[in-house]
Amino acid sequence: MTLRVAPREVGTPPDSRATAERQSGWLVVAEQETRDLWTSGRGLILLFLFSILLSVVTYLTSTNQALNFLEQRESVNLVLQLAVAVGVLVTLVVSADGISGERERGTLESLLITPVSRRSIIAGKLIAALTMWFATFLITVPYVWVLARGVGILGQALALGFCVGTLVAVGLGCIGLLISGFSSSNKTSIAASLFLLLILFAPTQLPSGLPQGWFFEVLLRANPVASALAYISSMLVEGHSWTQDLSYLITPLLTAIIAGGALVLLGPRLVRLTPGVHAG
Amino acid sequence: MTSMTVDAVRLTKHYGGRSAVEDVSFTASRGEIVGLLGPNGAGKTTTIRLLTTVLAPTSGEFSIAGHPWTSAPEIRRSVGVLPESTGYPAYQTGGEYLRFFARLYGLTRSNARSLAAQLLATVGLEERAGSPISTYSRGMRQRLGIARALVNDPVVVFLDEPTLGLDPAGQAQVLDIIRNIAKSRAATVVLSTHLLPEVEEVCSKVVILNRGRVAFAGSVGEVISTALIEHSAELRVPLDLVEGARNVLAGFPTLTVDQLAAQPDVLSLSVDGAGTDGSSDIMNAALAAITAAGIPVLRFELEGARLSDAFFRMTSEVAV
Repeated sequence: MTLRVAPREVGTPPDSRATAERQSGWLVVAEQETRDLWTSGRGLILLFLFSILLSVVTYLTSTNQALNFLEQRESVNLVLQLAVAVGVLVTLVVSADGISGERERGTLESLLITPVSRRSIIAGKLIAALTMWFATFLITVPYVWVLARGVGILGQALALGFCVGTLVAVGLGCIGLLISGFSSSNKTSIAASLFLLLILFAPTQLPSGLPQGWFFEVLLRANPVASALAYISSMLVEGHSWTQDLSYLITPLLTAIIAGGALVLLGPRLVRLTPGVHAG
Repeated sequence: MTSMTVDAVRLTKHYGGRSAVEDVSFTASRGEIVGLLGPNGAGKTTTIRLLTTVLAPTSGEFSIAGHPWTSAPEIRRSVGVLPESTGYPAYQTGGEYLRFFARLYGLTRSNARSLAAQLLATVGLEERAGSPISTYSRGMRQRLGIARALVNDPVVVFLDEPTLGLDPAGQAQVLDIIRNIAKSRAATVVLSTHLLPEVEEVCSKVVILNRGRVAFAGSVGEVISTALIEHSAELRVPLDLVEGARNVLAGFPTLTVDQLAAQPDVLSLSVDGAGTDGSSDIMNAALAAITAAGIPVLRFELEGARLSDAFFRMTSEVAV
């Protein structure tokens, strides 16, 4: 065996590649993480299960429409809310695996010794996790198209679902990575993320007939998932304008900003071989 | 162009109140293969993680290829690392894996592709470039890891237990690659291992760690000389000539000769009055007499003439 790569002079400054690597490290990580996510089959299996679920829900809501139990706008709202819920769920689970999973699989150290910054690694992983949401939304498009025919809300529903869903997915994706960075094991990280999701989705599953006082309203508005879904409902079902209930988006927006900011600040000390934030 | 590529000065790492590495100092130069030795928990992996900027030192300082330890990005561009028990993405192919890391160092897609192919050929994996890593044997994975450590054409290559779990053929293959890294690329190789014979075989210098401290740093010859006992040796001759050899050695009155019960073809020699000057002269004269008598010498070894003797002596002296 002979080595054919010419050695570099000791002490020479980094070559011209350095600029490129600083600019695109996050992109390279994102590309590889996305490819791994989809070619490993994890993403495809989750989306296959989601498409089955969506088909069943669409079929049932269409049947209900025929029986006049469910108004057409409500059907679109239901499918869109389902897409946001599932999209956020898979984004959170994938991001919760991002750091703790690499630690457990022993692949993190190799990544840490490259010149790519810790923040770039985090950004790449977040983007890869968000592809799960984007794919979920893409699958939802034909179902929304079928259900929204004739009521003229297709464009509005899709734009609304995409914008609000992306906002929530970014926020929870960031939270998933934070949990992953702090968790001592991957199981802990995923369990904690799923528990968080359960808490966030619980209010959305309460029967609509329950009395809804100020406490319920506070709970709703403090919850980024529930308030985002409420905003979608207010526009699609109640026909409000996009500015009318904009306050519902304060919590999802704050969640994304705070969690994203925490990742930017803590990222360099969070992506490390041992869990938690330490100086060294 | 500087010759010194690794310069560690009183490197210390504490985890809470526990000291993992304490006042570790050593240097290494271009083309040198430095063996980093020590029993489990001696601080070998921590030292490598400090020198590769994965961990920050509690105190002390170091430079790699002229870059001070505070310039982590520059150091990462100058080093290649095969971490201990490193993991691999099972569903990626060897080619994809190397292309990914090459691109992390800023190479374009096409450059990364050609470099990956070149490195796979270097470590003898070119025929498995398109196979998923999950189908690789342990030895192939280790070689892939070494190839990955070379993607940035490093000045210093850190290999943490690269032969762990490999069969003798796999070990020989990896050692051959290590020699080539130092020779063809003039890179410094810091080799952490438990296998002392392989250190004797490839390393020009050793750093022995014990309980986080440097027990010895110097050339292999120097470390062996610390344990060498010149007044005691073992001589192996053909079994049918053992008696003849004993008769020849009987001509040396200060030499006590014993035949080993477990190995009847091995004679144990010791010079009476241990530690006195002239032991080596007597041993040399005895050896010359044996060869002059036409008795073939199959092995002649002074006690403590192996790295393992020095290693055990140093690591057991400090450990109480």
